Amino acid sequence: MQIDFIAILPEIILTVTALLVLAADLALRGDAKQFVNPLAGLGTVAAIIATVALWGSERVTFGTMYVVDDFAVLFKLLFLGTLLAILAISWRYIAEHRFFQGEYYFLLLTSFIGMLLMPSSRDLIMLFIALETVSVPAFVMVGMRKRDLYSSESALKFFLLGVLAAALMLFGMSMVYGFAGTTDLVGIAAAISGETASVPLLLGSVMLVLVGFGFKISAVPFHFWAPDTYSGAPMPVAAMLAVASKAAGFAGLVVVAFIAFEPVADVWGPMLGVLAVLTMTVGNLIALQQRDLIRLLAYSSVAQAGYILIPFGLARTGPGAAVVNAAAIEAVVFYLIAYAVMNVGAFAVAIAVERRTGLRSIADYAGLSGRSPLLAMGMTVFLLSLGGAPLTVGLWAKFAILEAIAVDITLFGIVLAGFLVVNSVIAFFYYLKVVRTVWMDEAPAGLPQLQPGFNLSAVVVVLMVGTLVLGVLPGLVTDFSSVISIVAAG
Amino acid sequence: MSPIGPLLLATFLFCAGVYGVIARRNAVLVLISVELMLNAVNINLVTFQNLLYPGDPAVTGQMFALFIIGVAAAEVGVGLAIVFNMFRNRASVDVDDADLMRW
Amino acid sequence: MSNFEQWGTLAIFVIVGCLLYAVIMTVNRIMRPSVPSPQKLTTYECGVEALGVGWAQTNIRYYIFAFLFVIFDVEAIFLFPWAVIIGDLDATTRISPVFALVAMFLFIGTLLEGLAYAWKKGVLTWD
Repeated sequence: MQIDFIAILPEIILTVTALLVLAADLALRGDAKQFVNPLAGLGTVAAIIATVALWGSERVTFGTMYVVDDFAVLFKLLFLGTLLAILAISWRYIAEHRFFQGEYYFLLLTSFIGMLLMPSSRDLIMLFIALETVSVPAFVMVGMRKRDLYSSESALKFFLLGVLAAALMLFGMSMVYGFAGTTDLVGIAAAISGETASVPLLLGSVMLVLVGFGFKISAVPFHFWAPDTYSGAPMPVAAMLAVASKAAGFAGLVVVAFIAFEPVADVWGPMLGVLAVLTMTVGNLIALQQRDLIRLLAYSSVAQAGYILIPFGLARTGPGAAVVNAAAIEAVVFYLIAYAVMNVGAFAVAIAVERRTGLRSIADYAGLSGRSPLLAMGMTVFLLSLGGAPLTVGLWAKFAILEAIAVDITLFGIVLAGFLVVNSVIAFFYYLKVVRTVWMDEAPAGLPQLQPGFNLSAVVVVLMVGTLVLGVLPGLVTDFSSVISIVAAG
Repeated sequence: MSPIGPLLLATFLFCAGVYGVIARRNAVLVLISVELMLNAVNINLVTFQNLLYPGDPAVTGQMFALFIIGVAAAEVGVGLAIVFNMFRNRASVDVDDADLMRW
Repeated sequence: MSNFEQWGTLAIFVIVGCLLYAVIMTVNRIMRPSVPSPQKLTTYECGVEALGVGWAQTNIRYYIFAFLFVIFDVEAIFLFPWAVIIGDLDATTRISPVFALVAMFLFIGTLLEGLAYAWKKGVLTWD
């Protein structure tokens, strides 16, 4: 077995960077420790270059376990871009709050290595390793404020639910292995489609495997950890969990559902569709009552996970399924890219406000327009985009889902579309509530002007421009995602 | 040898683990229950490998079990650290005491 | 069939054992005198009375050592499959022995950086 080192170069670069960061943290002292951040940033940029070079080629290595195609490259670029943004917004935050800086960046990079592995995995063992490499450093990062009660409590909840979901998923995987005799995803699909009658035990195992990913994306019966963990964790970590970790969960779900379990898509498709309806409805209804901005963003991210689950509900088997499934994957990828741009932006603004003042309830955002016009503009754009307003990328993301539904209209598809529209309207209530507080309410006296610093301002400006430009010209991304999804489905 | 016996053992261990996670209040015991579930998975994998697919040159099932053992050790290390930190902060490892945040 | 005969022998042993136990204990209960006294219920009928509760907290330092041991011990399971096949590798196999050696040293090197980290953080000193 010859290993294709070019195919895994981005992962190798990130691994070496992570080890260097840990060594640098041991060597540096005091204030100098914060310079591990640009070191990690350099490694990320190098990994991005190595990933871009892989665009357009299809490489297979480690037997058939690891496939780098355009689908994987697009996801890797999404993760690495998010990593760069998160590094930029963490620098001052982590340095000022006296965290364990070297450990923080080491764990962050390790978690992202797991994410890079996820969309390339074509084997259950690889998927499991990738999922755990994402999760285990995240458990530690959530509990990083060691003396803070909220932080340690949220870490405990996140950890216990996380390992429980992992154990359930593993039991499903072991049964699938017992059924198919292989952990290779394509081999599993062949074994399943070779079966004439449906096997209840197999279907149960498939459900258990999907539960593991349902936890990562915080779909509704498994969402309880999300709001507590987001509000207890350091805020850059919350941003990472809400965006990158969730996108990794969706990447794994696409791979395992549309490749390995594709022959039983008529079973898991409707089930995930029902989960999608539950997830967006519950997320939106609870988000309406939140007073804390981070918890609001947490429930909004639960609802967004519901929107992204809709295309999975459309999956089916039989003649004509390939077109529908390809359209579904395309919608998922496009929505995830849009979601990453707008949600990282919203968290960046929240970090800028909280960093100086420690305030995070929605009422504290009163008069933000006077204190920092840039942040107020950014918050408005990101929240309106999350709601799906015109001229922002959020609208086109929702259109992408409707487009996937319209490929082959069924009654179930129409019901899903109806729930999508109604939920978008509900969501506007709480997004607009925050926007009104930012622009209309008077700021309490005595609050200083906000100086977000260069990195944070740059991230907010870039993401704001990205949201608006993609809102006018969505073709910039849809062209890419339509190229890749067919490859992934085949 | 029939795979029924080991599979029954694995199922029993798994169910005991699920019961422990739901019923136990002590965080350390919850952790032990999760380990029971992971061991059930390992028994499953090794049984399938040895009794159903003994000809596989890559010994996939046993390799999977090895990786699960490795990852489980890391998980337990992290988990004990989190529980221990929780204990230092509030002198309790009862998961019902972790109730600062609701809704 | 011989299989079942062996199991039958075992079953007879178990049944006879249980019966014997029940008979002896019943005869014992019928024949012995019964003179209860509080003294007989103490933990030790002679010797020093136990103080306090049975639970004792172990020093937390042991946790770190136990933890480090478990991590390195478990990572060693990845050495076993490697050790089994490395002797069979030569120039004709798909993986050269040098490659296998370098790969394992990279793995061990990564672990060693973890150990160096623990050392530098002062985890390995007793006080």
